[in-house]
Amino acid sequence: MTHQSHAYHMVKPSPWPLTGALSALLMTSGLAMWFHFHSMTLLMLGLLTNTLTMYQWWRDVTRESTYQGHHTPPVQKGLRYGMILFITSEIFFFAGFFWAFYHSSLAPTPQLGGHWPPTGITPLNPLEVPLLNTSVLLASGVSITWAHHSLMENNRNQTIQALLITILLGLYFTLLQASEYFESPFTISDGIYGSTFFVATGFHGLHVIIGSTFLTICFIRQLMFHFTSKHHFGFEAAAWYWHFVDVVWLFLYVSIYWWGS
Amino acid sequence: MAEDMETKIKNYKTAPFDSRFPNQNQTRNCWQNYLVKTRFHHVDQADLELLTSDFHRCQKAMTAKGGDISVCEWYQRVYQSLCPTSWVTDWDEQRAEGTFPGKI
Repeated sequence: MTHQSHAYHMVKPSPWPLTGALSALLMTSGLAMWFHFHSMTLLMLGLLTNTLTMYQWWRDVTRESTYQGHHTPPVQKGLRYGMILFITSEIFFFAGFFWAFYHSSLAPTPQLGGHWPPTGITPLNPLEVPLLNTSVLLASGVSITWAHHSLMENNRNQTIQALLITILLGLYFTLLQASEYFESPFTISDGIYGSTFFVATGFHGLHVIIGSTFLTICFIRQLMFHFTSKHHFGFEAAAWYWHFVDVVWLFLYVSIYWWGS
Repeated sequence: MAEDMETKIKNYKTAPFDSRFPNQNQTRNCWQNYLVKTRFHHVDQADLELLTSDFHRCQKAMTAKGGDISVCEWYQRVYQSLCPTSWVTDWDEQRAEGTFPGKI
């Protein structure tokens, strides 16, 4: 009987990378079909296969780690590097949209009236719902830290409670922002102001939803006793991602909502 | 005819250097001068002379026959020199329609 003599994880063959790539193809071509030919079939198929891929891939990671013990310390270190690199790439993603915003707002063209906000745009009051949104996300940053400490101190009930609060705050932010989008006096097609506003805040909102989903998975895993006080990288990755989402919002708030009004 | 052309060409000037706009992109220069000209457009000529510090230069212009350039005429020539004609016509049309985005 041969066993590996190293601490690394030689992953068994898996179909999910292939289904993931195929789902990406279906989603991209589906978008084109939706934009140009008013058909959502390919897109829906792509979204379905993408969701199934993610569910099954990450379910397998949980099986390999929690149930089969493959996540030794060096493996976990690799996962940490991976998450950090991923979040770094997301930082660059948002940097592009902030660049676009500042490019247009620092030197407003004659077409806009030579000032920012442009003529005809009534920006949202930064001291109303946007400020509430800021406090909601900051509070959620506190609650997730509480959850982490509770987890490390083996306090099961408080971990569950704090994680739930974090998720609820995330949901509250999403609902508030959705209502802001609905009530807003300007739309995405209202010149460069509308474009920069909704693309930047829109992608942020998407990331809040992704982060909330990640936290919810952690919540379920916590209920199922997956985490120990010493080993809970999934939770840490979710927490890092959540803090990143919070920081992006702070930049959005200061730049677009506050300075940009 | 030739004499008129010669004197005309001698009097051709372009907008002088404005240190507020030192770079190659002079869009803001054109825009600023157009705005200033349209802001002063409705002001009565006499009031304008009183408002400007170039009162004496304006006074001289009133007596001399087209020798000196009056203040509001000055801005007009600057933007006409700097700005693409199509921009000026577009902006004039917008002002007539009430869709001009600038703060006048």
